[in-house]
Amino acid sequence: MDFVTMNILDSAMVSICREMGITLMKTSYSTIFNEALDFTCGLADMSGDMIAVADYCPAQIGGMPLLVKSCLKEIPIAELEEGDIILHNDPYRGGLHTPEHTFFKPIFVEGEVMGFAVAIGHIAEVGGMAPGGFCGEATEIFQEGLRIPPVKIVKRGVDNVEVWKLLLANVRTPRVNYGDLKALIAAVDLGERQMRGIYAKYGKEKIRETVADLLLYSERRMRAELEAIPDGIYSFHDFVESDGVDSDRHYRIQVEVHKKGGSIIVDYHGSSPQAAGPINATLGVATSAAYNAVLHMTDPTIPRNSGCFRPIEVMAPPGTIVNVDFPAPEVGGNTETHPRIVGTILGAMHSAVPNRVMAAEGATHCNFVFGGVDAETGEYFACYDLEGVGWGGRAFADGNDAVDSINGNCRITPVEVYETRFPWLIEGLAFNVDSCGAGEYRGGVGYTKQMLCVNREIICSQMTDRHVLPPWGLEGGLEGGCGATLVQKAGRDDWQTMRDAYGKPSTSRYSNVAIKEGDRVRLVMPGGGGYGNPLARDRAAVAHDLREGYISPEAAGKLYGYREV
Amino acid sequence: MSTIIGIDIGGTFTDFVSYDTDTGHIENWKNLTTPAEPIVGVMEGLGKLDDLGVVSKARLGTTIATNALLTRRGAKVAYITTQGFRDVPFIQRGDRRSHYDITWIKTRPLVARADCHEVAERLTAKGAVHTPLDEEAVRELAARIRADGTIEAVAVCTLFSYIDPGHEQRIREILAEELPGMPISISYDVLPKWKEYDRASTTIADAYLKPVVSENFREMKARFAQAGIGSKVGVIKSNGGEATLAGAADAPVQITLSGPTGAVVATRIMSELTGIPNLVVFDMGGTSTDCSTVVAGKEHVTTSFEIEWGIPIQIPMIDIHTIGAGGGSIAWIDKGGMLRMGPQSAAAVPGPACYGRGGTDATVTDANVVLGRISPDNFLGGQMKLDAAAARAAVARVAEKLGMDVDECAFAMVQIANNNMLGALRAVLLQRGLDPRDFTLVASGGAGPVHICDLMEIAGIPQGLVPNYPGQFSAFGFIMTDARVDRHRTVQQISKYFDGERATRAMTELVEGAIDELKSQGYTQRIEIHRSIEARYMGQNHELELSFPADEFSEDNIADMWERFHREHEARFGFSIPGETIETVNLKVVAVAVSDKPEMRELPVTDAPPQPASRRKVHFADGWHEVPVYDRATFRQGDRIAGPAVVEESASVTILQPGQALGVDRIGNLIISA
Repeated sequence: MDFVTMNILDSAMVSICREMGITLMKTSYSTIFNEALDFTCGLADMSGDMIAVADYCPAQIGGMPLLVKSCLKEIPIAELEEGDIILHNDPYRGGLHTPEHTFFKPIFVEGEVMGFAVAIGHIAEVGGMAPGGFCGEATEIFQEGLRIPPVKIVKRGVDNVEVWKLLLANVRTPRVNYGDLKALIAAVDLGERQMRGIYAKYGKEKIRETVADLLLYSERRMRAELEAIPDGIYSFHDFVESDGVDSDRHYRIQVEVHKKGGSIIVDYHGSSPQAAGPINATLGVATSAAYNAVLHMTDPTIPRNSGCFRPIEVMAPPGTIVNVDFPAPEVGGNTETHPRIVGTILGAMHSAVPNRVMAAEGATHCNFVFGGVDAETGEYFACYDLEGVGWGGRAFADGNDAVDSINGNCRITPVEVYETRFPWLIEGLAFNVDSCGAGEYRGGVGYTKQMLCVNREIICSQMTDRHVLPPWGLEGGLEGGCGATLVQKAGRDDWQTMRDAYGKPSTSRYSNVAIKEGDRVRLVMPGGGGYGNPLARDRAAVAHDLREGYISPEAAGKLYGYREV
Repeated sequence: MSTIIGIDIGGTFTDFVSYDTDTGHIENWKNLTTPAEPIVGVMEGLGKLDDLGVVSKARLGTTIATNALLTRRGAKVAYITTQGFRDVPFIQRGDRRSHYDITWIKTRPLVARADCHEVAERLTAKGAVHTPLDEEAVRELAARIRADGTIEAVAVCTLFSYIDPGHEQRIREILAEELPGMPISISYDVLPKWKEYDRASTTIADAYLKPVVSENFREMKARFAQAGIGSKVGVIKSNGGEATLAGAADAPVQITLSGPTGAVVATRIMSELTGIPNLVVFDMGGTSTDCSTVVAGKEHVTTSFEIEWGIPIQIPMIDIHTIGAGGGSIAWIDKGGMLRMGPQSAAAVPGPACYGRGGTDATVTDANVVLGRISPDNFLGGQMKLDAAAARAAVARVAEKLGMDVDECAFAMVQIANNNMLGALRAVLLQRGLDPRDFTLVASGGAGPVHICDLMEIAGIPQGLVPNYPGQFSAFGFIMTDARVDRHRTVQQISKYFDGERATRAMTELVEGAIDELKSQGYTQRIEIHRSIEARYMGQNHELELSFPADEFSEDNIADMWERFHREHEARFGFSIPGETIETVNLKVVAVAVSDKPEMRELPVTDAPPQPASRRKVHFADGWHEVPVYDRATFRQGDRIAGPAVVEESASVTILQPGQALGVDRIGNLIISA
């Protein structure tokens, strides 16, 4: 292997991916892109294998290889022309969920396709039954927005106007969508242009050879990491609560991890049959989640490409919550079920790699989405936004407070941006005392966002979790605090769940609730589970948590056996 | 006769550059840094001058603020904010440092949660008062802070104060009455821009630094006053400009990144002196390399600095990208069998193997010695003799593990180190949409010239420049700089309903504020004002900066501004959306009080081709070459040599690649062309 060229090529390609991301961040319109950075930019070879990626959103990284490969089945390489850009979002064609839009552009060198520049981004508004793309009560994929099979949105460098018209006619915020789609196109244009420069410099043969070596190198490093993990069969399970349709049913996620030598198999047999509501994961999501868990357990400096995924195999029986069959809804599979799967795999592996796991994290993105007509400007607005949760405690440290769940790495939109964009007045962002699962190392805390509606009406939907089943602890650590969504109708003093206030089947997943001016909404985010016996916690750490207001005096006494001196 | 002095307090050495304004004579010297009390080393170094009476100006790069932040030795701060929002500094942005790192621990803010307080008050996003300020609550809070007795400074940041600072200013008034002498920072003064977390974090950092910087400067001022130059000392701010000690102590967050700006200011001066508009400088030290650009004669200013990951300081600073790659970066082999360099560094102690101070790890410097690029007899001008055998032995140990021969391995080490630096160059060029082909690469730091030609080649930069005294380039920047104030403010408007009067009013306030700040520090002469706006398509969240040369917004120049925005967007991102609504977000003003610049002495014109002092073997991509070695001190204006060649000088060496050519310009810069 020519390690020097490999090192140079790898960092050049990752830096191109990063440049693509910067373009997206700077030119896109939705807060989910430009504040939360819910997108991914990568490069693929002509078979669709990912050869480089920049660190933006992990949920999308693991899904990229399957995505590109699925599209190439439908639009073979022979049908691609220079300057084409393919758009796709169909979960049933290798996608993750309808909001996730994938753009890819072939990189032509001397008339031959060498690979692709790829950008995947979360488009906030995709049509369908609820503004903002997350309809907690959907029962069919058709309610979750427009499905786009692989189509050429740009043909030989020219906008394919028919496709644009069709797309923009089916969403509530065409102006914003236009800006976001243009930004994604600018990103793949940049990636393709830069890669052609790299080809001009090194030549096709050298790059083909070096990229093959690079994938092999990542594979080798991944296998070395896996070999260090004790062989064995490890199992664990967790539940996703309700599906928005059948309120009292929990859905089992079962994993059995077979670890032998330098390979690992994640087997999901025993998981629940697919749900009627939108909590199902596609095979792409379940695969991406397994990759995500394994990447968390191994050295984070391994170059991320399809090579790292070669030692990982996934078995997901069709017709289950981890490999859903058409045409069931699945938008929440990507945001909620994904982190739940990752947590379950980490739970299974905790005895094998105690320093590479954590107790359960909050594992939800909140996904409180809304839309409406701004009373002042008359323009339609829609928002997909997310919130942070507490991480689980670890064998060596407390869980982090208020961080995006581990299948995303998104930012919270600042209050001053949020209120400038949307007609809410946020009344507080405050940590939830005692939401950190007690332990020798405690879980992180969640927080509560309270908002006052200052528009005539805002139509809200949500797809969250952990209202009923708290985040579990490990090794004697206790459960973390649950989340909640509560509403206080104008003129009333009491706070109600969405179930009580609007007769929805579930408190955590629902669609199209009309929040009126003067109503308040409270989004309570879960904490994380604790790790180890709370009685073994360092007394100075308990005193610190008490002084700093993370735990109450009652919890200090009852859970930690702490008495102030 | 009068002398201007630049002083750069580094980790190991304090560098001095003096310039005699009458004769144009420049002198360089060093003194060991005295980390416990840097002023001691500074005064010792100044002792080299016979008479401090000739000093007309001394400018100082200081690490006081940087160190206080990095070691967390600032004040105990109380933070006051809007009811409901005291957890903003703890929630932060919600993202994490890197993917897949389950060992990551979220960075703590510079305040304790128990010291964060809320008062009832609230503005809306349009600046209307939703809840009036509860003044009584502020007084009660002040009483608590007084009773607590441990609080050393107060930071105030309320929601939407960038639109209307009334509540923050009133809070400050009340606190000043109740807590006389307490240092107070309010966010409107520190950073009147939107996004509450970033503004809060910056304001807290300012308060955190106030007591420690004030105390340090008081001591420093006393020592300078004793020496009779009390009124002549300026300190370098993170924007590369000068402030008085008192001015900097009032807004200490402005000097977060003082020292490293010197090389960038020096690069801008080089741009003026040589007429080369676009320069990219890499300042290569032992453990790290700083990269930055000068585009069209101007340094690039950023507001995205972070103390530690997740803790932003958003005041305007010169945009310097730092990576952990330097001469001391250590070679290692990762689990996949790949050779890697750094970021672990052998630093100054024990240092690279060739220093002979007990270091055994192979470093970039060792590889350079093995390859004949650095002469063991002429390191730091011969002050320090290097152990070539130790360098070779260290590299051989790495080579054995890789199954390579020693020369091959040393060459691979240099290539990988170069590649790491290439990453930093890409970050300041390509990732900002700048084309390397439009740039000249400037080498700074003792190690810079050793790598400049390699980097030109791999980065596709066609021209290189090695200044005089590359090791003291940063201190040289200090003698050339001006007093400078950067002021930003969020004033949000959209093109459909753009109110030119409102914009003019806000811009005028900014300009007046900046001029006042300069004048209050005694900088009253030759003040230049540069105005700009930051705008975007409505809905976007990141802005493009457009210069705005006029005093007032008029119908014509507003229309022209929208036109320029579309064009700039097209040029920067490859597309524009004609007819789309544009939103202006921030107004920016830079005020500069121009100081007298030293004139560089010209070299005599050449009359004969330069003669090499010796020859030696140097390893290049295609193997060993015996090459001529020139002494830089013998060069004249207009001299030209062709690569491969080596140019030695007292604290550095330039390695010219085969195929490259080197010329000497009017003032002695080495100009390298590909």
